[in-house]
Amino acid sequence: MTTSPTADGHLNSEPITLDKSAIVDFASRFDPQPYHLDADAAEQSIFGGLCASGWHIAALATRLVSETLLQNGHPFVEMISVSQLNWSRPTFVDEQISVRIALDASFSESPIPDTHAQNLQVDVCNGDGAVVATMSVTAAIAAEPNPGAPQ
Amino acid sequence: MSVLYLRDRWFEDLPIGEFHVFGSHTFSELEIVEFAEAFDPRPQSTDPVQARLNHRQGLVASPWLITAMWMRKMVDYMEVYAQGVNDGRRNGAGVAINDLQWLDPVRPGHTLTYTYEIIAKPDRVIRQKWGLIRSRNEAFNQYGNKVMQFEIDILAERRP
Repeated sequence: MTTSPTADGHLNSEPITLDKSAIVDFASRFDPQPYHLDADAAEQSIFGGLCASGWHIAALATRLVSETLLQNGHPFVEMISVSQLNWSRPTFVDEQISVRIALDASFSESPIPDTHAQNLQVDVCNGDGAVVATMSVTAAIAAEPNPGAPQ
Repeated sequence: MSVLYLRDRWFEDLPIGEFHVFGSHTFSELEIVEFAEAFDPRPQSTDPVQARLNHRQGLVASPWLITAMWMRKMVDYMEVYAQGVNDGRRNGAGVAINDLQWLDPVRPGHTLTYTYEIIAKPDRVIRQKWGLIRSRNEAFNQYGNKVMQFEIDILAERRP
C-alpha cells in the first residue's frame, strides 16, 4: 500500500493496531511493569488501564517511519539520534497508531557511508488523531536511491 | 530492624548525583534478529548474510533493542529495591527523553553495561502529586566505549 504527501507536505503512514497480546509480549520481555502486563493492576495505576510500553511505541513508530519514507522515495537506512522523545498519553489495548512525518528540507553530513542525515519531526497519533508521542529524529537516508538494490 | 533506605524513598529523598551501575547484558544473534523482525525490520539487523554486504559490514542490533534492554535492566534492578513497597514510591513513568544517541554498533556477543545518574530535579509539580527526576543514562560495551546515551524525565511521587 502506498501513501502520498498531504496538502501541508506531511507524510502519513498506514495505521497499525496494538492488541493485548502484542502489548503484553513486548512488556514481558522488555518492560515488565504492572501497567503493561496486568489489566487489573493497570486500572489502579497512573495510566488507568493496560497500555503499551513507551519503548514499544518508539520502535513501532520507527518501523512506520521507515516504511513510509521508503514508499515516498526516501530510503531510510538507520536512526542516528533522537534529540527529543515525548510520551504524552498512553496507548491502550486495541488502539491504532500511525505516524505523521514532517521532513526537514535540508541535509547534513551523516556518519554512515553513502547516506545523508535528515531531520524529521514525527507525531505518533492514535485512531482519534490525538498525539500519543512525538519524536525529533535525525535519520540516515540513502544518498542515491537505487531501486534495484536489495533493501 | 534494619533501615532499607533505597526501598523507602519519595521524590524528596532522591539526591542529585546518585549513580548506579544497574545491569549488563550480552546480546545474541537470535535476539538481535528476532527483535528487528518484530519491531524494526532493517536488513542490517534481520539478515546476517545481507548485513555483511551493507554499510555496517555485519549484523548490528536495532537501536531500539539497546534502549528496550535498558528498560528491562532498570525494571529488574528497581524491583529488587521495591519488594514490599506497594505505594507511590514505585512505578512512576517516563515522560520525556532528551539527547538520545547511538554512538557505536552493538553486535552479537557484545556485552553492554548500563549506568544511571540523577542529574536534576526540575521544579515542576504534575497533577498535584508527582515530581520529575532527570537522569543521564549510558551504555558501555566490553571495550569500555560508550555506545548509547540519553536523558530521561521520570515521574516520582512526592511525599504525601
